[in-house]
Formats: sequence, C-alpha cells, structure tokens
Amino acid sequence: MKFGRFLSDKIISIIITIVTWLIIWDFLAVFHIKAGQIFIIGFIYFIAETSKILIEYFRRKKFYTDLMTNTENLEKKYLLSAMTESPDFYEGQIFYDILCETNKSMCDNVAEYRKSSEEFQEYIELWVHEIKLPVASLLLMCHNNPDIDGKYNEQLRRIDDYIENVMYYVRSENVRKDYLIKEVSLKRAFANTAIKNREELQARNVILRTENLDIKVMTDSKWLEYIIGQIIANSMKYFSADREPEIFIYATDSNEKTILHIRDNGIGIPLSDMPYIFEKSYTGSNGRTRSKSTGMGLYIIKNLCDSLGHEVKAVSVPDDFTEISISFGKNDFMKMQ
Amino acid sequence: MNKIYIVEDDRSIRKELAELLNNSGYETECLVDFSDAENSIINSKPDLILLDINIPFVNGEMLLRNIRQKTDTPVIMVTSRTSETDEVLSMSYGADDYITKPYNPTILLLRISAVLKRVSKDNIKTKYRNLQINLAKGSLSDGRDEIILTKNEMIIFQLLLDRQGQIVSRNDLMTTLWDNEEYINDNALTVNISRLRNKLADFGYENAIETRKKQGYILI
Repeated sequence: MKFGRFLSDKIISIIITIVTWLIIWDFLAVFHIKAGQIFIIGFIYFIAETSKILIEYFRRKKFYTDLMTNTENLEKKYLLSAMTESPDFYEGQIFYDILCETNKSMCDNVAEYRKSSEEFQEYIELWVHEIKLPVASLLLMCHNNPDIDGKYNEQLRRIDDYIENVMYYVRSENVRKDYLIKEVSLKRAFANTAIKNREELQARNVILRTENLDIKVMTDSKWLEYIIGQIIANSMKYFSADREPEIFIYATDSNEKTILHIRDNGIGIPLSDMPYIFEKSYTGSNGRTRSKSTGMGLYIIKNLCDSLGHEVKAVSVPDDFTEISISFGKNDFMKMQ
Repeated sequence: MNKIYIVEDDRSIRKELAELLNNSGYETECLVDFSDAENSIINSKPDLILLDINIPFVNGEMLLRNIRQKTDTPVIMVTSRTSETDEVLSMSYGADDYITKPYNPTILLLRISAVLKRVSKDNIKTKYRNLQINLAKGSLSDGRDEIILTKNEMIIFQLLLDRQGQIVSRNDLMTTLWDNEEYINDNALTVNISRLRNKLADFGYENAIETRKKQGYILI
C-alpha cells in the first residue's frame, strides 16, 4: 500500500480541509485576531488533520499489505482469507467478512463437484467390475467350446482393453490415489503383459526380445502392467511395413535408479510431434494418418507414472525406432520395509 | 482326481468354470447357498478352493481368513477387482495365488496345477517310462545315456508329461512357454517339438509325441 496513492485518494477531504481552514482564517482575520494566534490555531488544526490521515493510513496499511503479499506468495490463492487476520477498522471488517463468505461458498461449490466426481468414479469402478463378469463368462465359454473360433476371443480381448482404459483413466485422474507400492519383478510384470497380448503379438509376427529384466523395482504391479501393455499396444499400431516388427525390452540399472526401456522398430514419431505426445487428446500426424487414435494412451501413462513417482520419456528417430523409458527411483528405506 | 471347490456368485461364470475344470480332469463342487459359506466349504474337504472376493453375506477376504484358521487347503483368489491392495491383503490372509477376471482360462489352469503341485510335492512327475528326469540339470537319462534338453524343450516335455495321454493344445504350450518368459513364435514351437521328438527317439521312443491335427500334441 503506497502512501502517495493513499493521499491522492484522500484529495477531496484534503481540499475540504484546506478550504475550511481558509474560511476560518478569513473569519479570524475579520475579528482582528493576531497573526501569531492565527498561526497557533492553524498549526493545531494542521496537526489534528495530518494525524487523522496518518492514523487512518497506518491502520489500513497493515491489513492491505498483508493481503497483497499473501496474494502474491500463495500458490493456492483461495487460501487468502485463512492466511489474513481480520482488520481492526470497520470497512476492512466488512470486506474481510465478505471475503470469508465468498470463499466458503466457493469451497462448498468445489466440495459439491468433488463429491459428484468421486461418486462418478466410484460408479465407474463398480461398473468396470460388473462388466468384467460377462466378459469373463464369455472367455470361459469360448474356451469350453472348441468349435468357437479364435476371432471371438480377439474381440473379447478388445472389449477388455477398452474397459481397462476407462478404469485407468479414471484412476489416473483421481485425487484418491489407490495404488500400492511394493517390490515388483520387471521380468514377471512383462511376462504377464506379454501373455495378455500374446495372440495379437503372434498374429503380427512380432519378435519379442528381452534383456536384463531380472530386476526388482518399487511400483504398483497392476499399474505397471497396464503401462507396459499400453506401450506395446502403441508399438503394434505403428509398425513399419518394410521390416520385421520387433519389440526390444531391456532394463538398465544404476545406483539411483532402474530404467525400463521399451523399444520398437516402427515408423517412429515425427520430430515436430515429440514435445506434445504426452498431452491429453494429442493424436499427432501418425495418429491421424495411420489409425484412429484417441490421444489418450500416452497421456494416461504419463499421469500414472507421475502419480507413482516414475519418470517417463520418449526417444524416437522417424522411420527407425521409438523408445519409451520409465525410470524407477530407488529408495533404501522402502526396501528395508 | 483333485476336487476343486468353486465359490463364485455369478451363475454363468460358475457354470462355465465348473465345465472348464471338469474338462481338464478335476472334480468340482460349487457353493450355492452363501449363507453358511465357511462350513459348506470346509465340510466338502476340497483339494483346492477358488474363492471370489465379492460374494454375498460375507467378504471373500474375511472368509479366506476364517478358512485359514481351520484348514490348510490351498486357496486361489479370483476376483474382478484389479487393485494391488486386494492382492496383498489376500496373500497376507494366506491365499496361495491371486487371479483377476477376466482371466485367460489356460493361465487359470496353469496356476491351479502349479498350486496343487506345490502342496503335494509327490505330484511332480520325474519319470517317463524308464527315463529319469533331472530338473536341476535339465536332462533326461535312461541310466546309460543322458541327453540335455533346452529350457524350452523341458517346459514342453513337462507339460506334455503332466497331461500324459491327453491332448495338449499348441495354445496351452505357447501360454506355458510365455509364462516362463520364453517368448517364442509358432515356428519355433514346431521346431522345439520336433527336436524333443528326436531326442526321445534317441532313447528308442519313436513317435512318443503324436500330432493331432488342429488340436495339439499328445504324449503317449
């Protein structure tokens, strides 16, 4: 709060004071009061008026300066009313009360939406569990009936994939993080994902090469398997027509972290698309020209990795390869437990 | 014949699951009245229990804990809940394995047979006719000669031996190999089988592995 601005805001009251003084002076002069006495009266009047302004200024200054610095420093600006003390002057109190009131109303509003979003999520999770029952049933029926062709299984697998996408999207967007970090073998996590995608990988004659996967990392195995599955599904969408499709999965291990690399020899990602591939709904030129893409896959992966505290990166040379890598931090404390 | 007890409230899955297990040579019994699940299960004296978490009246995890207090019968949890927390909780209550729906039926059968083998160690077959299988060395021997099998050949041979006299589909063989982190393709499977055949032929067992067109292989 600047004194100059405050003064210029008070200009009318200052002008009134000066005019009043000139009138008083005039009267005093008419009544033949001596110049010395007029000066003393004027001085007292001046002191009184100045101190009025100064007191007013300093009472306001503390409150408004607090308010301004808090607004500037707070990352979550809506916490302002909680961070500022109620002032000791009347208009300030009115203002402060209104601030608190609007804030509370905003909180209620947000809480209402959060609740409805949580309820929606709970419903989706419930729905996912329900829809999985008929899928499980159908898979068993296909297996039990030897006359049924593999193509039915393939479609069921597609349905199951879409269900998983919904579930992990909801999970990744959620404030309530329901994962559990424990020691997970990369080898096992990859094997589970590979078996799940075996039919499609074999139908496309994909060569799977693994190296150095006998490492344990701290993560949630279900989330990790979903992430690997998504990366492999992406690779399968963008294989090159002129070479044998291959996915190479390997891990590198250092003192601070373990990195899982998933590299395919597909068509790669154009350089101009690279900065945006993890963004929501970004399809890129591959996604637009090759196959229908929702642009959600990598976004969900990134979100899940962020939640789990893993770093996900992509490297690609167009028409050569794409490599997605996930870094798992090491924490001795977690291991001890 | 091992008896498997199915605790599953979805009627369609229950029926198909029972059929799958019957076809694979298991005897099955299903829980129909969920009001007294615990006693019904224990009184049936099964060799293995397939237990769903979401069942009426009682939570599957609590049921598992109660069963564990009374018997050591192996339990595989089968559920549509895919959260790590449920899995860890189930395992800590004493489940032997945890599978999420929708499961690959072949994988389910593999897990069941693995759990059953683990429980009754004498179930592991180490002999084929007069051949001794040495798993540690990965070899077959008839007392005079010894032939080393590759890891893939051993996995295939063991699965065929496990179901000796029954047809084993290529799909099952493939799933088992991939489950053992051997990501081979169709051609490689054919090559591995023919090598295994040749090795068995070296011991004088010509045509030990028969091919059944469009169905799979059978170890005689």
